[in-house]
Amino acid sequence: MRQRSFQQIDVFSHRPGDGNPLAVVLEAEGLQDADMQRFAAWTNLSETTFLLPPTEAGLAGGADYRVRIFTPGGELPFAGHPTLGTCHAWLQAGHAPREPGTIVQECGLGLVRIRQQGDTLAFAAPPMQRGAPNPALLALVTGALGLRPQQILAAQLLDNGPRWLGLLLGDADAVLGLQPDHARLKDLGQDVGVVHVAPTASDTRTPGVTVRAFAAPMGNPEDPVTGSLNASLAQWLIAEGLAPRHYLVAQGECLGRAGRVRICQDDGGQVWVGGQSVTCIQGTALL
Amino acid sequence: MRQRPFQQVDVFTATPYLGNPLAVVLDGDGLSTEAMQQFTNWTNLSEATFVLPPTPEGRAAGADYRVRIFCPGRELPFAGHPTLGSCHAWLAAGGQPRVPGKVVQECGVGLVTLRQDGERLAFAAPPLIKSGPLAEDDVQRIARGLGVARTDILHHAWCDNGPNWRGVMLRSAAQVLQLKPDGAVLAGLDVGVVGPRGKVGVVGASDAEGIAFEVRAFFPGNNGLSEDPVTGSLNAALAQWLIGAGLAPTRYVASQGTALGRAGRVHVEQDSAGLWIGGHSVTCMGGQVLL
Repeated sequence: MRQRSFQQIDVFSHRPGDGNPLAVVLEAEGLQDADMQRFAAWTNLSETTFLLPPTEAGLAGGADYRVRIFTPGGELPFAGHPTLGTCHAWLQAGHAPREPGTIVQECGLGLVRIRQQGDTLAFAAPPMQRGAPNPALLALVTGALGLRPQQILAAQLLDNGPRWLGLLLGDADAVLGLQPDHARLKDLGQDVGVVHVAPTASDTRTPGVTVRAFAAPMGNPEDPVTGSLNASLAQWLIAEGLAPRHYLVAQGECLGRAGRVRICQDDGGQVWVGGQSVTCIQGTALL
Repeated sequence: MRQRPFQQVDVFTATPYLGNPLAVVLDGDGLSTEAMQQFTNWTNLSEATFVLPPTPEGRAAGADYRVRIFCPGRELPFAGHPTLGSCHAWLAAGGQPRVPGKVVQECGVGLVTLRQDGERLAFAAPPLIKSGPLAEDDVQRIARGLGVARTDILHHAWCDNGPNWRGVMLRSAAQVLQLKPDGAVLAGLDVGVVGPRGKVGVVGASDAEGIAFEVRAFFPGNNGLSEDPVTGSLNAALAQWLIGAGLAPTRYVASQGTALGRAGRVHVEQDSAGLWIGGHSVTCMGGQVLL
């Protein structure tokens, strides 16, 4: 064991405490899988990441760094908020990408490109499959959320690794007022993302889209700010003309957070999911 | 906002990551209650603490430092693992008690004395608020919730010293470790389970490692039933019950967290000054926090 450089980052926020926390071990060379898993269980955060030099293949493919992403219970091939937070920590530690403005991350999924625009980092939303939800499941989830069926304008099963049931509501107050029966949602085994898009959403100076993420089946009744869900929701809503190509999301309000997720579809049709990050804890970890 | 010294400490273990973590902000001066609560929620740990200079009254009564203890959602007047971890962090940061070997902590319940036993720290167990046997209905419900026969619960007692623990003793540590509790049946209850690790039927017998009991702590969490890795308050109350009832010797070591992959060690000792609950702590993270 030795002291290794460590940061705890708040992601999707520029103000400490308003976003989704991430623990980052910046010098993870030589750690065993079991060491990483034990530390990730101990931090008790939704994710903990470990920075490594790229593999030879990764380096040849243009990777700037490699990261391994752990939850308290296992390793993930990719995740959104850990990608943005790890990239922020890597830049904060004084590194610079080979190609200015674009950072290439090597992770379990392969190479992921991250765009840097000022102090906002954005990842390319991964491919997503979607389809109509089973009506019986939709009815049960609607009940567990305390909603009436007519309050739901559109519903879609979204799968980009994590599987979310996306529900579009017509009223932002209804989204913020939800008090789901989390035990029931856990029994149903369905993670649910609820979204409202204001008519003014194309004005990205203030948040025009409200999101909440309920993930009791994943062990987290409500997630403060969620990269994967916002990626899938954006791909669905933009494709169906239910949201503009650029918008700003507010998430986490009911948990006392003020997460901000910046969505942008480029001219090639790729959706980018971005946000600011801030280093809250900086020091060393004994690992 | 400014940079403040910070440590994340593992409590009730000498080996990093096998105990119960605690976030300690070593200079909490000037932070509002709201800022402390928001940071605590953000850490996602069972507790975060904020070390402050003693109040004038506290200092006059001998306090070495003051601490405010938060769990997600609220402030606590006292808690065991945050007390040991905060004291460890304060000493590691260069704090020196006025009386060598004895540290006086000011917190919500008043002054709490800690003693240094070599590398270990111990706090004096607070008095029980409620003791005596549980209602039979409760015992049957706990048996059902734990998935054991009613006759497997050899002894039971209220273990309420702030946290409202209900304590039950099972036949063996092996039985304690195998439990797969039903959160729906135990909903709303804080249940502490203890089983002997030494020879069954011999009071206070220890195993080859010198450990007398295996302990587990179940409580209603924000996503159904939760299990705490290592619990100061429960071990304090269990010790008062078990020693008082002649079910444990006046000095023993308990193990907790095994089922979660941890290896917490709680050192219990009763002497003329009171009942002491102690353990090692180790600083796992050190640095600065922006608060």
